[in-house]
Amino acid sequence: MSDKPSRSLTMSTRGPQMSGDPRRTNASRAAGRRARVGLGLTMPAVILMVVLTVIPIFSVLTRAVSTDGRLAFGRLLDSPSFGQVLTNTVIWTLVSVAGAVLVGYAAALLLHSRHMRLTGIWRSVFMIPWIIPNVVGATIWQWNFSIDYGLANRVLQDFGIISAPIGWLSDPTVVLYALAIVQIWFTAPFAMLLVSAALAAIPVERVEAARLDGAGGLKILRYITLPAIRSTTGIAMLTLVVWALNSFTIIWVATAGGPAGSSTILPILIYQAFQVGDAAMVSAVALIQLAVSMVFAVIYVRAIRSDMDEVTT
Amino acid sequence: MRTSSRSAAFLATWVGLAALVVWTLGPIAVMVFTSFKPREEIFQTPPTLVPERWTLDNYAYVFAHSSMPQALLNSVIVALLATFITLIFCTSAGYALARYRFPASRPLALFLLLGQMVPITVLLLPLYQLVNSMGMLDTLVGLAITHLVITVPLVTWMLRNQFASIPVELEEAAQLDGGSRFDAVMYVTLPVAAPGIAAAGMYAFLQSWHEFVLASVVTSSLASRTAPVALTYFTSEFLVDWGSSMAASVVLTVPVVIVFIALQKYFVRGLTSGGVKG
Repeated sequence: MSDKPSRSLTMSTRGPQMSGDPRRTNASRAAGRRARVGLGLTMPAVILMVVLTVIPIFSVLTRAVSTDGRLAFGRLLDSPSFGQVLTNTVIWTLVSVAGAVLVGYAAALLLHSRHMRLTGIWRSVFMIPWIIPNVVGATIWQWNFSIDYGLANRVLQDFGIISAPIGWLSDPTVVLYALAIVQIWFTAPFAMLLVSAALAAIPVERVEAARLDGAGGLKILRYITLPAIRSTTGIAMLTLVVWALNSFTIIWVATAGGPAGSSTILPILIYQAFQVGDAAMVSAVALIQLAVSMVFAVIYVRAIRSDMDEVTT
Repeated sequence: MRTSSRSAAFLATWVGLAALVVWTLGPIAVMVFTSFKPREEIFQTPPTLVPERWTLDNYAYVFAHSSMPQALLNSVIVALLATFITLIFCTSAGYALARYRFPASRPLALFLLLGQMVPITVLLLPLYQLVNSMGMLDTLVGLAITHLVITVPLVTWMLRNQFASIPVELEEAAQLDGGSRFDAVMYVTLPVAAPGIAAAGMYAFLQSWHEFVLASVVTSSLASRTAPVALTYFTSEFLVDWGSSMAASVVLTVPVVIVFIALQKYFVRGLTSGGVKG
């Protein structure tokens, strides 16, 4: 497919009746060879990813539009819990992304503060949740959220914030938010890292000039710092949204989607269908999740393109 | 006036710092302290953070009586396999995408990167069937192959940026001295890129080490079960053994933290290069 241009190039230069500048012919032959080498080195990874993603997606699509798949869609739309799953997915995504951005920004701005010492060490400390395995984090928080033995209730009661223990993972109205706290704990470091890098790129002179003009800390934040990190905010939020939408392990380990489906989001629904061997249902739900992901993939491609041009040119 | 607002800002900074440290390290402290608590203290109300009596019983149980040692070994093998295969494919592709300009290079680079946007749960059933059709269900190799779908996109990207940051003149100089391009890459470019390649490899290793969803469906027996899956077995039985569960969590986490501290400089650079400049 993609090696067509290079092949036609070499064929046209090979013909003896071709006249023209011999140096140019040599150059284009070299360019053709380079293109083939480049393509040859890239293809193994491309073929691997085709086998692991494109073909699987194709098989999901074909099963989803088959008779079984269409029946599964019918079952899905008829089931009263499907609306709840969609609502859960939206709430889960909004809460965990907003929380991670807030915590990540707070941490990054704090590290950027003039009063800060040992910035590098604190940054490493704040990064730690990000490298903890999801299964481990989910297990720890499951224990923290235990009604009688967990420290979450103990601490909040000691400080008088709550009067009675909260059933973090057993109360259907609370569980999704409790799990979002875990997701925030895991992903906020990533937001912090991106924002820190963007903050470091703000020219010191700009801040100094504003200060000389009499701007206070809050004004500098509002008119210089926040506008300067706006594009980073976009990329961070996009990544966080994708992670939240695809998140599985935290919820599955802590609650398996319960109690009574109150923490079930799309990936959990797919896994549950997989467990009972309902292949048509797996594909139907997977198609919905894929459609949602596609929207964000398109935005992602647009955002990343400019970055890519900078590397290659 | 001026000094008081300064000291207020100073105070706010340190209060914020304290809050973030508690938020970040609190759960980890709970994990570590609980892992050293005897059983009767774990189920004591009101709960305490630090054990009154320290014990290694939980660790003894994890290493002597649970499936964790075998699971840890499985995890290491799967992660090493996945890392090795990833680096072979991605060094090749990353180098080509950084150095050669060919008609399809941009679309192919995007295609590889987009692999990380595909939700794993969408691929779950087809990948299970793929491994099954290769007769590799419940094997370490089969699981390692599925982990490539997670590692290849970002590692390609990391290595591409790594190679792009090395001046091409280095290679050209080696070629002028009479070496082939292959020699130039082998003896000049790869050694210069080694730290970046090591960081990318570590990233791949950690992704495989953490991975739960695919491991939970591709493996079924003790012989191939990896550590993240084995960990969930501590809490999913009738008697929830929190002490051992936390001890196993510590065992699963410690190597990761050590690796991260050793390589965090490269990590941070490699991972942010896909998103932000600088």
